[in-house]
Amino acid sequence: MEFISSIEVFLENGFMYAVMALGYFVTYSILDFPDLTVEGTVLTGGVVFALMIGAGINPWVAMLAAFICGALAGCVTGVLHVKLKIRPLLCGILVSTALITVNLIVTVVGQGGSFTGEGALTTVSIGRNAPTLYRIFPFNLLPASVLNMNIRKLLAFVVVCLIVKILLDLYLKTKNGMLLYATGNNEQFTSMLGQNPGRSKIIGLAIGNGLAAVTGALMAQSRGNANQSMGIGMIVIGIASVIIGTSVFKNVRCLKPTTKVILGAIIYQACLSVVTLLGVPTAYNKLIMAVLFTIALIVSRQMEIKGRRGAE
Amino acid sequence: MIQLNNIVKRFNIATPDETTLFDGFNFQVESGEFVSIIGSNGSGKTTMLNLICGSLRQESGEILIDGRDITHLPEYRRSAFIGRVFQDPKMGTCSSLTILENMALADNKNKRYGLGRCVSKKRTDYYKSLLAECDMGLESKLGVQVGNLSGGQRQALALVIANMADIKLLILDEHTAALDPKSSEKIMEITDRFVRERGITTLMVTHNLRFAIEYGSRIVMMHEGKVVLDLKDQEKKNAKVDDLLKIFNSISIEAGNSL
Repeated sequence: MEFISSIEVFLENGFMYAVMALGYFVTYSILDFPDLTVEGTVLTGGVVFALMIGAGINPWVAMLAAFICGALAGCVTGVLHVKLKIRPLLCGILVSTALITVNLIVTVVGQGGSFTGEGALTTVSIGRNAPTLYRIFPFNLLPASVLNMNIRKLLAFVVVCLIVKILLDLYLKTKNGMLLYATGNNEQFTSMLGQNPGRSKIIGLAIGNGLAAVTGALMAQSRGNANQSMGIGMIVIGIASVIIGTSVFKNVRCLKPTTKVILGAIIYQACLSVVTLLGVPTAYNKLIMAVLFTIALIVSRQMEIKGRRGAE
Repeated sequence: MIQLNNIVKRFNIATPDETTLFDGFNFQVESGEFVSIIGSNGSGKTTMLNLICGSLRQESGEILIDGRDITHLPEYRRSAFIGRVFQDPKMGTCSSLTILENMALADNKNKRYGLGRCVSKKRTDYYKSLLAECDMGLESKLGVQVGNLSGGQRQALALVIANMADIKLLILDEHTAALDPKSSEKIMEITDRFVRERGITTLMVTHNLRFAIEYGSRIVMMHEGKVVLDLKDQEKKNAKVDDLLKIFNSISIEAGNSL
């Protein structure tokens, strides 16, 4: 029983974090921009989503709103970097720090508190009757549980993840999307095409953080609330998923990079589940996350060296 | 075509290392000229190209192209009418994309980069015909990632890409310097063919005196931010590598270097 519930947990978490990892793929892999903003934007997405469905708004609309809010935060990071020439890491730190306040005030004011940050809860709970994604059509047609798994929730997350993946694949084939590759690889090239590389970076950061916010929306549904500590550790999960996915399936040509990233996110969550199954207390989660990520980094570098020797 | 008027360019401003490279520098290029620029390191050749392209900004003075003042135009806007190939073959292409994707991106230059599909199957024959002109076998490698090409192949691709759009000015910044002798010969031939066919105004910085003599319509030698030799027409045709070397050496000795 415990085994089945941990399968449910890692699949659900895997698809949930895969959305953010796809965003990281855009900023980290394509644009070569290590973006720390997501620590803040995941929570922004969660808060916006939870408040909106609390007001009875359709969850798809609420997720779109979460995406837009996340994208705006990403734009701020981009503008700080492009216009004010602040280093990528610092931009992320600045914006995610600022978002701590923004998220708190939005949470409080959204629940009837005052702009001083007082007078309401700092957690947005999702009520039993709130229209979460898995409570509406078509997911409500599914049986509530199969093999003790909440497949409504799982399938809803899978569908969101696949929609994001397909849209991202389509976007990356467009002129605008292809320009992101050019900008990340060689800014001079974008410039020589008569395009502003800064604009391309801002677009990429908007996508990356928009997707992080969508993960926040899914997290809020998964946990039944959005609380202020939700964003902690997101960077590690995001980058680890991307690196695991792209290095494990490095030589699998038939898989698109976006598919690899999703698989990477699931593998990472599966590893964490195994650790939990082995009896390590949940308090050790973040430590385990960092250790697993370190192992993934070392293994991927070893594989790269081996690959290079093989090529010679 | 190009006018540099009264250019002042300093480096390391407000530090003890402050140096003035250009102090009231003037330079003109006529339409259709193919200018080879030679000179020792630090003479200002590459800086001049960077100023024209907008990668560097001058402290004062103005730059005009076809009579239009481009002094305040950012680099990416100037690229609309400037094609550029760098010494480093990596600079002119995107290594994580395929040849086809690189060309499709370049094909769209000066148009909107919107949400239309980037690679169009209809254009592949056109791309192949452009690549076939280089005679490097690139036309059969459209699906290959540019990062996997040799330096010579990449530079040939960069040259094709730089010439794809309707440019007024081609800037070649020691574009054969990083290649082996055979590849650099080849790239120079392709360059010459492109420039002749399209009659495009070209500025080429080179350390290869033979290239400067064999190709192009004008030779300019620079030294410490000044033009010290400017040969056109018949004078250019009569110039020999030895003559250039002599002048080169005499300047060098004046500057305190003995050979």
